This record gives sequence, C-alpha cells and structure tokens, in this order.
Amino acid sequence: MSDFSSAKVLHTLPWNSAYITSLAFIGNDQVAASNKNGDILIWNLAVPEGKTPEPVRRLTGHTNEINAILATPDSKTLISVSNDRTVKYWDATSDKGEPGSVLLNDGFLPKGVTEKVDKVPPPPPPIEVKVIVQKPIRDLTNHAEWVQGLAQTPDGKTLVTGDDQGVIIVWDLPAGKERRRWQATQWIASLGISPNGREVAASQHIPYRDKPGKESFLPEFHLWDVESGQSKLDLKKELGKDFPREAMSAVVYSRDGKWLASAHGKLQTEKNQGKILLLDPATGKKIRELAGHPVGTNDVAFHPDGKHLISCGRDQMIKIWNLEDGKLVRDFGKFADRGVWIGALSISPDGRRLAAADRAGQIVIYSLAV
Amino acid sequence: MGAREQLGIPFQQVTSMNQNLHQANHVSRRAMLKGTVVTAGGMAVANWGALFHSQTIAAEAKRSGKRCIMLYMEGGASQIDTFDMKPGRPTGGPFRPIKTNVDGIQICEYLPKMARHADKLAIIRSMRTKSVDHGIGGYHMHTCYPSSEKFPHAEIGAMIAKYCENPESDLPSFIKMGSPGCTAGSGYLGPNYEPFTLGTDGQLPGFVNPGVPLAVQDRRAELLKSFEERFAKQRPAEPFASHRESELRTIRLMRARKAFDVEDQWNKARDRYGNTPFGRGCFTALKLAEAGVPFVEIGQVGYDSHNDNFPVHKANLSVLDPAWSSLLQDLHDRGMLKDTLVVWTSEFGRTPAINGQGGRDHFGRAWTVVLAGGGIKGGQLYGASDRDGFEVAEKMVDEGAYFATIYKALGVNHRAKHYLGTRPIWATPEGSKPIEELLA
Repeated sequence: MSDFSSAKVLHTLPWNSAYITSLAFIGNDQVAASNKNGDILIWNLAVPEGKTPEPVRRLTGHTNEINAILATPDSKTLISVSNDRTVKYWDATSDKGEPGSVLLNDGFLPKGVTEKVDKVPPPPPPIEVKVIVQKPIRDLTNHAEWVQGLAQTPDGKTLVTGDDQGVIIVWDLPAGKERRRWQATQWIASLGISPNGREVAASQHIPYRDKPGKESFLPEFHLWDVESGQSKLDLKKELGKDFPREAMSAVVYSRDGKWLASAHGKLQTEKNQGKILLLDPATGKKIRELAGHPVGTNDVAFHPDGKHLISCGRDQMIKIWNLEDGKLVRDFGKFADRGVWIGALSISPDGRRLAAADRAGQIVIYSLAV
Repeated sequence: MGAREQLGIPFQQVTSMNQNLHQANHVSRRAMLKGTVVTAGGMAVANWGALFHSQTIAAEAKRSGKRCIMLYMEGGASQIDTFDMKPGRPTGGPFRPIKTNVDGIQICEYLPKMARHADKLAIIRSMRTKSVDHGIGGYHMHTCYPSSEKFPHAEIGAMIAKYCENPESDLPSFIKMGSPGCTAGSGYLGPNYEPFTLGTDGQLPGFVNPGVPLAVQDRRAELLKSFEERFAKQRPAEPFASHRESELRTIRLMRARKAFDVEDQWNKARDRYGNTPFGRGCFTALKLAEAGVPFVEIGQVGYDSHNDNFPVHKANLSVLDPAWSSLLQDLHDRGMLKDTLVVWTSEFGRTPAINGQGGRDHFGRAWTVVLAGGGIKGGQLYGASDRDGFEVAEKMVDEGAYFATIYKALGVNHRAKHYLGTRPIWATPEGSKPIEELLA
C-alpha cells in the first residue's frame, strides 16, 4: 500500500484573480478551475519537464460565483453550477473558440481588509496569457436560487444538483433533462449521489445567527430515495452527538458505494468542528471518524485506489487518510489558524495527480505516484 | 418561633406596619404608588412614568409624542451587501441589486420587501466613523462619543427617554431587546434612564409574573415601603436608593406587563414579520411604541462575518427583510410613522475587499446607515462612497452629524447640556450639526 511518501509538488499554477471555488481533472492531463468571478480556466499539464503549464482555455458565460464543477467520466463534458442560478455544460474536448487572453495575477489588492493597508504586500506582476475563449454548450435554468450542490454517478448517466431554496433536481445527464425534483426544508449546502443512482445524500442548512434554539434551525442531513423523492434516513438522528451545528462542506460517496464521507466545517462558528465522518450509506451509522482539519474541512475526495481519502481545510493543510484505520498517512502545508484556506481539491482518474487550490487564487499540482 | 421573630422584627414594629397597611387601604392605588416616587435615598424614579413620577420631574419632561425604534445589526452589517452595492466591481460580491419603488435607488436582491419601502428611507452612504471594533464601536454608535474619553456618556436611548418620555405612561421609556450592542446605559443621566432589557424575542423575564392578584401586590408593595422607610431613616446611603429603585421598577413592571403580552396578536402577524426572535422583537417594538414607549432598540445578532460573509448575510437578511418592512408598513398603516423614527445601524460597516476566508472585516471609512419615518425625508440617497467603496466620495457624515440629525428629527436639542457633578457635557460634541437635507 502506498504511503505517499514520495508525493511532491509538480507545478504551481498562478491565477490569483479571485478565490478558486472548485477543481476538476479532465482526464489525467488537464485540470479545470472555477472562481468566484464566474470564470473557468483549463490548463494542460502535459508540458516538458521544467516548464510551468499555462492556461489554454477560458470558459465564459456564468455571471456570478461558480460553486462547483465536475468532469464527466468520459472526460467529454465539464459541468458547472453557480450563484447565477444556472447549470452549464461545456465541451471539455474542443479546442475551438474565439482567441482571447486571460490576465493572471490581476488579483484585487486587498486594500481595506484590515484598514492597515500599509501592511498588505503588493501583488505579483500580472501576466497576460493567450487562450481560447469558449461558451457553454448547454444552459439549464431550472433552479431559481444559488446552486450549491453538484454530483454525478460514476456511469455518467445521472446528475444531481441542489439550491438555496432547498430544491434538489435529478437530471438525465447526457440529455440535460430534468427527471425528478423534490423540496428539502433548508438550503442545500452539499450533496452526493450513490453509485447506483438510487439515493442522494444532502446536507441542508440556513446559517441563521438569530437562532431561537429550536430544533428546526439546526442543519438537516438526509438520505433521499431518488425514485420517490422521500427521505429514507434522517442522518441527524443516526449521528446524534456527532451531528454538527452547521452544514457539511462536502458529502461524497466512494466509487464502490461502501463509504459515505461527510466533511464538517462549512461555516466556521466553532473550533474543532472540522472532523470527517465515514458513514455506512445503508444504515447511516458512523463507521469511522477522521480528525480532519480543526478549523474546518473544505473538501474531500476518495482516491481511486479505494483505500484513501484526501482532504483539505481552513488550516492551510492537505491530508491523506487511510480508510481502514482512519490514520493520517501524509500531510502537506503549514498549519495556520487563520491563514489562506485550501478550498478545493481534485484527484486525477489514474490517481497519480492531485490538484489543490487556495483562496488566494493559486493552484498546486502534486504528484502522488509511488 | 413566630414569623416576626424569624424575621427579627420587634412586635411593636409589626403593629406599626399593620397600622400603615390599614391606612393604605383608604388611599387610592395611584396615590399610594405616588408616595413611593422619592426613594428613601432621595432619588426620584422618573423613567417609569406617572405612577412614580414626581411633580418636579413631570414638569421637566417634554412630551414630544416622538418615538424611536432602533434596529441594531450586532457585529457590523455589510454596506456593500445591503444598501451600497458595487455590481461589477471586484468588491461587489455575489449579491445583485434590485430596483426599488424609487427611481435611482437600488438595494440588495435579498431585501425585496424593503425595496417596496424605499420611498420611506433616507440611505446615508457616507458614514465615516472612528471606532472600528465591537466594544468601542458599539459604544460610539450608541453614545456619540468615543469610549476612550473614560466618561460615563449616555446612550441614545436614555437621551430620548429623557426628552421624549410620556409622563403619563406606566411603561419604561428605554427598552432593549436582543444582544446588547452597548452597555453604557444611561451614563451621566443617572439610573432613572437605565434601559429595561427584554429577551431577544421581546419576552419579559420571569420575575414580572408574580402569580398573585393585584390587590396582594399592592399590599406587598406597601409593606415593603413601610419597611424601607424605617430602614432608610437610619441608612440614607445612595446604594440603598438604587436597590429600592430596582424593587420599584419590578413592581411597576408587574403592573404594566400586559403591554408586553403580544402573543395573540403575534400569531396573526408572524407570517408577515417572519417567525424569528428578531421578527417578534420588531412586532413587540411596534406594540410598545403604540403604548407610548419612546425608545426601543432591537438587536439582530450575527453580522460579524470575518468568514463566510455571504451565506451569513443572506441568511440574516432573510430575517431582517420581512421584520423591518412589516414594522414600517404597520407604523404607516396606524398613522404612527410620521412620529416614529426607525433607525437601521451597526457599530460599523464591513470592508469592501473580501478576505481569504470569504469574509469581510470591520470597516469605518465609508459605510451605510438608514433612517426612516418620523422627521425624515424619505426616498433619498445621501452621500456616496467611491466606486469600490473604500472611501467616502461625497458628503461625509460623522458620528456627531448622525446623532444630531436623529435628535433633531425627534425634537431633541442636539446640544442639550447636562452635568456630571460640576462637569458639563453635551448630547453631541461641539460642532455637530444636523443634516438638514435629511429632515422633513
């Protein structure tokens, strides 16, 4: 079994325009990143040794923050969801489009963040890069609020999305047609779909601070039956004291359907709330608890080897966990209680590369090869 | 051992008390209560209206008929995510502006109900304030003075209670609900104008529900009074007076508590106000204003969004929007809005730049407050921030001008002079002037 001891940084990709919200490998040699300005960039990672990859394509069309992206299993389509209330499909393979450019390091000087503006370091010099600008190939407007949740089945046939009105929509992915929808009680913070497409796990919460202390204001976490749109399992009841007071930042099924990972720390209201739970999707019972990231876990992904989970968090750390014993195998980064979060990660389909992005707008590509 | 021995009261004194009780049965309840207006320590209890109001203080009180309801966004609400949006700018964030019922005024999409009341609002987009942390900011925005002066300044609620209270009212004149944005209280105005604090949702504390009939309360009050008069003759110290005042307030609140009981009406109103503590607080404020309380502050907690500013503000605005808009509508429908100033404020605003945690931090250089109703000319924007919101671009408003405007709208002299001992102090600092363009 790999201990990832030889894992190392391959590339550091500067974007530094706004914080990066999501990452997705397209095949093993391309990575896409979305940001809060509504832009998506795609880099080719297959470059000669010693060269830093540059973005080759820019996907434009969203008019507000993109919350999540994913690439279909055949690597032909990229799908994104946004605060502009749309779900967009993009051709992940085409190199056709308008010639254009993107300015890296145009990050807005964070003047005024603390009012002690003299202490803010100057940004790095901007770099202009020529890219192909592409438009979406499909625009789904079935949601009426910010779309936060996005997941697909491994066979690429079913897509599920969830929004801030608590609406969950199950789609025929290839056709882009709505198959079913149902209404949850709170905003959908994160969701996952079981590999067989029969269940959706969705974390819900409205982050009121004016709480009356009633049960109805606590987050919800249900397993829903896709066919009926009914809740099959109330995970809040199953988890008891392990249930957090905020929504999960990520809910992910393992490829074999044996594990359901829920990452805590969607909003930072308490310390030591960033644990990761491994649940049995059939019963909702906790199988194992991982220490996670004490300031909050932002994202998790199962490694294709089926034996590891990788997480990133608000502590500026990336951690690799052994699923069988829950032990930490390897970590990257330097702990910071209030630093720049690592907000998103993605693992290449062959498991040999990891991409992680921080809120300052930088992407780091790691080699995970043994 | 008998009861009097257990209490350590000599038999002769008990007899004397009984005589006092007997005499009290022949005086009216009002007269009896008036008799307690000057405490044993010589302190009058002015804030609590007629029942304990001395003639002297009643003569001083100016019944303006004006009221103020202050909605205090505890933690610092973001101006860019509410009333001073910067669409398309790097500081803009994910919220989008919507039109209002006034041409040229746009506000956040998550304040859709308030958008229908923009004709009542004066939106000041050019606040520049000096105290940008919670304690000192809350103090400054409640008293008009920096806490660094180390002087017991009075909160705005105490000042308005002093000058706008109704001498005939049995209710307290300065009421707070929710998390306190400031604990300065009445300061140099003295304990008579200390705030009375309710639960977050406007519920009274349990001690005001005595569970005994009014007549029994009266007899107990008089018994207490006779005890204390005897006690105070030997101990005329000020601490005793404060203690006595607290007792009197409790007794009075027991009598006035029905004004706070809005349960039946709330059942009909909660769908409009939102079934939240803040929503109920706003509805209770309406009822208290209707009953004659001149100043009510309602706090909405949770705006201090150094992390995750946008989901937190989105959730908070979903609570604020129905409550505030329903309050304005109900005040308008009852013909009360022209005499009721509704203030929306915080201790400061939030930074235009969005930090690495998706948050906005404390910011006092260019932020927004909103005034509506009594004495204010609605449907206007006043001042402006620059295109990214970092600086005031037009018509800077400081704490002094903000307070002076509120005081003038309520008919209070913004340069009213008071004394702490021999030291003079004014309601607003020297040079503070009301903003005439905001006044109706």
